[in-house]
Amino acid sequence: MAELTGWLLDIYTGEEGLTIWLLDEAGERRCLHQAFPVSFYVASPAGQLAGGRAPDLRAAWRWLASQKEQIHLTRAERRDLFAGSLPVLSIEVQRPGDLPGLFRRFSSAFPNLTFYDADLPISLRYAAVFGVFALCHCRVELQGNQVKAITALDSPWDLDPEYPPLRVLGLEPDCNPAHAEPKGVIFSYSGYRYRLPFEPVRGLLANLNAVLRMVDPDLILTNWGDTWLLPKLLELSKDNPLLLNRDPAATITRKAQRTYYAYGQVIYRGAQMHLAGRWHIDTCNAVMYHDYGLDGIFELARVTGLPVQTVARVSPGTGISSMQIVTALRQGILVPWHKQQAEASKSLLDLVHADMGGMVYQPTIGLHENVAEVDFVSMYPSIMAHFNISPETVLLGEYNPRTGLPITRSEPGLVPETLQPLLEKRIAIKSQLLVLPKWDPRRKRYKAAASAHKWLLVTCFGYLGYKNARFGRIESHEAVTAYGREILLRAKEAAEDLGFEVLHLYVDGMWIKKPGSVTVADFQPLLDEIVTRTGLPIGLDGVYRWVAFLPSRMDARIPVANRYFGVFQSGEIKVRGIELRRHDTPDFIKELQQQMLDILARAPDAEQARGLLPQVQALVRRRLADLKRGRVPPEKLIVRQTLSRELDAYRSPSPTAVAARQLAEYNKDLRPGQVVRFVYTLGKPGVRAWDIPGELDARTIDVSRYSTLLERAAETILQAFLSKGIETGLPLLSNLFCSNKAPVLQE
Amino acid sequence: MGRTLPSITQEFLQEQASFARFRRALRRSDQIALDDLFASAHKHIAAAGYAAHALPFETFLLAMLLEEHKQVILLRQQMDEKLRLPPGNG
Repeated sequence: MAELTGWLLDIYTGEEGLTIWLLDEAGERRCLHQAFPVSFYVASPAGQLAGGRAPDLRAAWRWLASQKEQIHLTRAERRDLFAGSLPVLSIEVQRPGDLPGLFRRFSSAFPNLTFYDADLPISLRYAAVFGVFALCHCRVELQGNQVKAITALDSPWDLDPEYPPLRVLGLEPDCNPAHAEPKGVIFSYSGYRYRLPFEPVRGLLANLNAVLRMVDPDLILTNWGDTWLLPKLLELSKDNPLLLNRDPAATITRKAQRTYYAYGQVIYRGAQMHLAGRWHIDTCNAVMYHDYGLDGIFELARVTGLPVQTVARVSPGTGISSMQIVTALRQGILVPWHKQQAEASKSLLDLVHADMGGMVYQPTIGLHENVAEVDFVSMYPSIMAHFNISPETVLLGEYNPRTGLPITRSEPGLVPETLQPLLEKRIAIKSQLLVLPKWDPRRKRYKAAASAHKWLLVTCFGYLGYKNARFGRIESHEAVTAYGREILLRAKEAAEDLGFEVLHLYVDGMWIKKPGSVTVADFQPLLDEIVTRTGLPIGLDGVYRWVAFLPSRMDARIPVANRYFGVFQSGEIKVRGIELRRHDTPDFIKELQQQMLDILARAPDAEQARGLLPQVQALVRRRLADLKRGRVPPEKLIVRQTLSRELDAYRSPSPTAVAARQLAEYNKDLRPGQVVRFVYTLGKPGVRAWDIPGELDARTIDVSRYSTLLERAAETILQAFLSKGIETGLPLLSNLFCSNKAPVLQE
Repeated sequence: MGRTLPSITQEFLQEQASFARFRRALRRSDQIALDDLFASAHKHIAAAGYAAHALPFETFLLAMLLEEHKQVILLRQQMDEKLRLPPGNG
């Protein structure tokens, strides 16, 4: 028996058992195989188990025994998360590739049965059994190319795992296919960069194959590869196959495009192209690629157990539910195929108490100095872990208006168990980031990992209440927000007891000030007190030199929760909810707001910042003049908006819809969730889609419309300084009343 | 987004809208004062939400009263200061 160490690249089901790609320490890419029988379970629907008899299961047994697939049937007892121990029929399928087909026929023949573990990704089953995941450093024992045993040499929770030396080939069309027809393909590897024209096709394919053979990449990193380039290359290479797959026995997997609605947004996902034996990642179709990049994708693959190509393209919600599935498999808990759990009934009054989100205050409008922002660290996940909140730990008992339904702490819940190591790793990475010097190469990877973890943790809370989540239950979701409100109020009370004024509360953050409290150390006693009273970790985000909470644009008397900007003592600028942060704001206006803030951030306090206002106003006047004299490049005036529905469904012709229609005339059909780019123009129809052929005549740009946008954006910043509602550190009591004076808007 | 009950902000706007006919029939100057009252209640919307009262408008009325009372305290304080000042300095 031979032994080998290396990194796991990919696992998928092959002809017989599993196909496993390993990059060994000598740098060789090995294609290995392993027998890996998989099981799924079936139970009688609840209520039909009277007298321990299960007539349906007997019929199911007879049906299964007559099928052609190699299976092994047994009776077993397994644990359902909610129903407890259940008698089930266990179906062990010898070849994992047979399971999907068999299950499809079986579930349509016996639609009334309850199925478990039926549709789990193979990599999660593998991770649950062997503790091995994509990019895991591991040791295998081999007989020929058959894997006999495999052990992990590192864990997903290691801070600095050793990464394999990967070979990467970049591939992209020579222009954005949404804008024009590309004429060639650009490929790049280890510092080289070439362009090959699509014509003649034979030359292109021969050259591409030569490059693929020579580089033999582990990762093909493309732009528009999913949606355009790979489909195009496959079409061109119908008669003369390309060596895109490393595994010649496997086919390229295509997944269709789709549009869906999540977190109040319409989201578009392009079609997908998955390769076998190497990875294909399309940077334009990967989720959050701009946020955490390849480092984040690799980190997600390690902690979730999903394959690299999958994890690059799925939402963080899928990531967190994968982690829960692995926990469940390890603990022998059944993973339902379709969730059965319904919401328990509650009284109207209980519903009024339970159906609430986080606590969101209306901040005290105006400019405030020496304000500290304190945030609970990953508040909702910490609450789940700290108070053991999980779908199965919420008991149906008497409702407590403060904390909701009672929670059992006798056994650790599935969700807290899954979250705990992730939270610990996140805190470890965050504290590393605080102490590592700026030049340290680990910073980039840590930042990407922290960002990837953040999204897993954020969605984890949402999935507790999502009706289709396998381990979701609305009562546990409500319990989390109830604890969240309780904890934020305790923090507020602690702050007020210590003499701080609370300017704003926002779900897991608090903005406070007290005359004389200026440095980080001045706020430390409060942080300690909050930790004592709540039991949850809280951190100081920073102390602002000044921060401005802005009123609503509709009514200057009404504050809005998430519209503010300020400058920390470090000089760092923090901005929320204003034009600069909005995706649809033209670059020209974003740049102006950024420059205005940059000027103000030079001053050490609010008084001196006010002294810089003439400079800021002069800047605004210069930019306005630039606009009117046509000195602004048109591409900086592009407005980007997401198409929220099908074109026929728009009742009134919004600028977005008009621009999308213009594109449709040129056969560029956009789906909901895709972005439309346009500029405002004079006369009818008032907009021009940016991506239609032909040059934009600069004289048709609607300058007055852009002037209005610019003036409004400038005013957002200036109003905080020019209004009378500026706080100047008066005694606490009268400070409280200053909040009544709304700043005077100059509209 | 898939809510069973309207949020406290929706509730507030509905209550405000339900007085549209009342508001319309008021004099312009009274309309402005009424809008002020609603704006002052809006400041306490988070607390009203947390209270989860079955009849939220009662909480909004109390919030208006609260802001009014703050004004009274403030005015009284200013009066006291004025009266305490020696003559000639006011």
